[in-house]
Amino acid sequence: MSAFVSLDGVRKQWSHSVAVGPLSAEIRRGEILALLGPSGSGKTTVLRLLAGFETPDAGRILVAGEDVTSVPPAQRRCGMVFQHYALFPHLDVGENVAFGLSGRGRGEGERVAAKVAEVLALVGLDGFERRQVHELSGGQQQRVALARALAPEPRMLLLDEPLSNLDPSLRERTRRELRALIKRVGITTIFVTHEQEEAFDLGDRVAVLQAGRLEQLATPDELYERPASLFVATFVGRANVVRGATARALGARDGQVLVVRPERLRLGDAGVPGVVRERRYTGAAAFYQVETETGDRLEVLAGPEAAAVGDRVYLEPLRCLTFPEGPA
Amino acid sequence: MSARLGFGARAALTLLLAWLVLYPMLIVVREAAHADALRAFASRPGEWRALWASVWISVASVGLAAAIGVPLAFLFEWLEFPGRKTLGSFIALPAVLPPFVGVIAFQFLYGESGFVARAVQRLFGLEQAPWQLQGAGAILLVHAYSMYVYFYLLTRAGLAKLDGSMLEAAQALGAGRWETLRRVTLPLLRPSLAGAALLVFMTALGSFSAPYVFGGGFRVMTTQIVAAKLNGELSLAMVESVALALVTVLGLALLRRTEGDDVLTALGKGTAPRRRPIRRPGVRALATAAGWALAALLLLPHLTLGLVSLVPYASWTTETLPPLLSLVNYQRLFGEPERLRPLMNSLWMAAASTGAAMAVALAAGALVGRRRPWQFRGPIEALIALPWALPGTVFAVALMTAFGVHDPLRLRWVLVGTTVLLPLAYLARNLPVTGRAVLAGYRQLDPALEEAAASLGAGRGATFRRVTLPLLTPALAAGGSLAFVAALGDFVTSIVLYTPDNRPISIEIMSSLRVSELGVAAAFGVILMLVSAAVLGVGVRR
Repeated sequence: MSAFVSLDGVRKQWSHSVAVGPLSAEIRRGEILALLGPSGSGKTTVLRLLAGFETPDAGRILVAGEDVTSVPPAQRRCGMVFQHYALFPHLDVGENVAFGLSGRGRGEGERVAAKVAEVLALVGLDGFERRQVHELSGGQQQRVALARALAPEPRMLLLDEPLSNLDPSLRERTRRELRALIKRVGITTIFVTHEQEEAFDLGDRVAVLQAGRLEQLATPDELYERPASLFVATFVGRANVVRGATARALGARDGQVLVVRPERLRLGDAGVPGVVRERRYTGAAAFYQVETETGDRLEVLAGPEAAAVGDRVYLEPLRCLTFPEGPA
Repeated sequence: MSARLGFGARAALTLLLAWLVLYPMLIVVREAAHADALRAFASRPGEWRALWASVWISVASVGLAAAIGVPLAFLFEWLEFPGRKTLGSFIALPAVLPPFVGVIAFQFLYGESGFVARAVQRLFGLEQAPWQLQGAGAILLVHAYSMYVYFYLLTRAGLAKLDGSMLEAAQALGAGRWETLRRVTLPLLRPSLAGAALLVFMTALGSFSAPYVFGGGFRVMTTQIVAAKLNGELSLAMVESVALALVTVLGLALLRRTEGDDVLTALGKGTAPRRRPIRRPGVRALATAAGWALAALLLLPHLTLGLVSLVPYASWTTETLPPLLSLVNYQRLFGEPERLRPLMNSLWMAAASTGAAMAVALAAGALVGRRRPWQFRGPIEALIALPWALPGTVFAVALMTAFGVHDPLRLRWVLVGTTVLLPLAYLARNLPVTGRAVLAGYRQLDPALEEAAASLGAGRGATFRRVTLPLLTPALAAGGSLAFVAALGDFVTSIVLYTPDNRPISIEIMSSLRVSELGVAAAFGVILMLVSAAVLGVGVRR
């Protein structure tokens, strides 16, 4: 499948020690891509480069085959939802949504009104046109921001931490609704998040960034099962990182770091011996902290009654990942 | 806008501002460095006395204004008593009296032939007026009346930011009420208090109207400068201007150092402590009575002005209250085109200078109001603030000097004697207030809003027109109305720079007083007061 949006060796230098890129990536038409990374990893810079708020120092950005690298944001046709929504406080909901529609010729008031009504209905805010922005709840504001971004029918949708301003209780539901809505519209979407769960739930594919570099771009399953680097392995999902004797006992070679996820360790009758030091009960299962004879601590996910604190146990690995020891 | 274009625009604005506010001052400094004038200044004891008088009057004004304003702020912010809200709105009354109008209102009220003196004379059957309103005491009275507002407003703002739980924490740690005040409240208020002290000190140092009218033999530097200019001793006026400017800069530097950082903003906002009702009935009645007495005291100058404006020419001689009241002064004022002209002059000059100051402020905001880029931001902000640090008299003398010579190569043209110099002076003097308002407005603007507009297809112009400008409107209205009122009532710069063709109201009031047309002078004062109140009422809303 050919790429709809391509980043081609894009680089942005902030200061002599802080830079993003050079990075290349291809995003397919209609795909939802998550940019995942810790703060300072450059994910927001990538989004702002796509929107045109920043100009790259090197490289090209292509949208539908057109080079938009130096196209100003106003002509780029990217719908953007800002982290704090950036709704215009001096305009009501309808005027906010119509902002990108007006000025496209005279006598089109009715067409604009119809479009506003249509996108508001799409986000489930029918009849909210004359409401004031500050009267809305956080979730409603987010939907207005989404409606405003979608109204001019942009070529792609950019979302900056779209759920970070919502109540935790609201997030999971909003996430599912947002995904359903984007898929219904069928728009190519790129969003930024620092939460793995959000990236996995909302994104078709996930790009993991760290220190301005693209570590891996893959589907959630692939990221979890076949992480390309030690960073991805530890940033995505829970993981035990072990070195030295314990690593070797679990199957690593010299100079390798071993990563094993808690659910891929079993408390069995044979394997690496250790003592249960802590048990954290979560309901359906429990996490056990097992200290090996060499002093390493590993986390194991097992049934709630599998062991008790102080028990001597053996750790049996089901699946381990190994990485070459990098510069620490 | 491309980066190079932006750079050019910022450089151009910096140069324009430097030409308008810094260059004239530099010319004065250079021309003042003349041996003769310096010797004349140094050898006359009167000059040193006037300089010293300026300093101690300003320091005393700070003390008096603080003594009135700070307790009032605590009273209104922390205690609940009948009439608190109504009284609170009276507190800002002095703000609608332009300095010169306030001074003549005091003259009518407390002067030797004013209402109060006449009443006392009648009451005790005295032969002569019981007192003369003259000298340092009179100046300080006017300063205390008009400048306590700074302390009141800034202290209240500081108290409103105070986190009530901080005071409770102090009390839980065993500090009594006084100890809490001394060790927690006052230290936290330091930035507000230092800011108010700075404002009062600068205003008092530049104050001209009160010393001009009440000074008598008591001279301060501002009146010395104008006197030297009127005597034709221009080089002496320049040396005096430089001396006063130096004192101002010194005071500014000293007070800035005590201001410190605003720790309250850094810590974030808590909830202000709840107002405590005064429970004891006796104390309650006392507080209420004191409040209303204060309100009356604040309102008296305005009422006096209104009353005197109704007194026909030469109809009031020895009576305590004027025997005859009519609207004849207003009829003459609006009926005779020659009398209406000063009002029109003031209105157009204030409007034009305010409009231009707002345009410059907007340009500065658009060019350096955001976080990036930073080039020229420091110089532009400093130049915009500079006129605030210069007393009006000093600035007027500087403009007069710089634009009294035809030398286009040095960017100097003869503007003295033309109608444009005075509005130009108003414009420069208005830059700090409009500039501060607009730059603060820009800083509060979420940059994401402009980006949102851009992502929705709005270009630079459309974004400014449809998003930035509407959101800046409150800041523009506030800054613009303050600037307009200041220009409308200006006396200090006007007396140095006016020409027969642009005589402003304040000069007309002065000449009416000279020919004893008290009623006409007061009527002009009332009109100024009403226009100022209306403009501030519309512009400065909370």
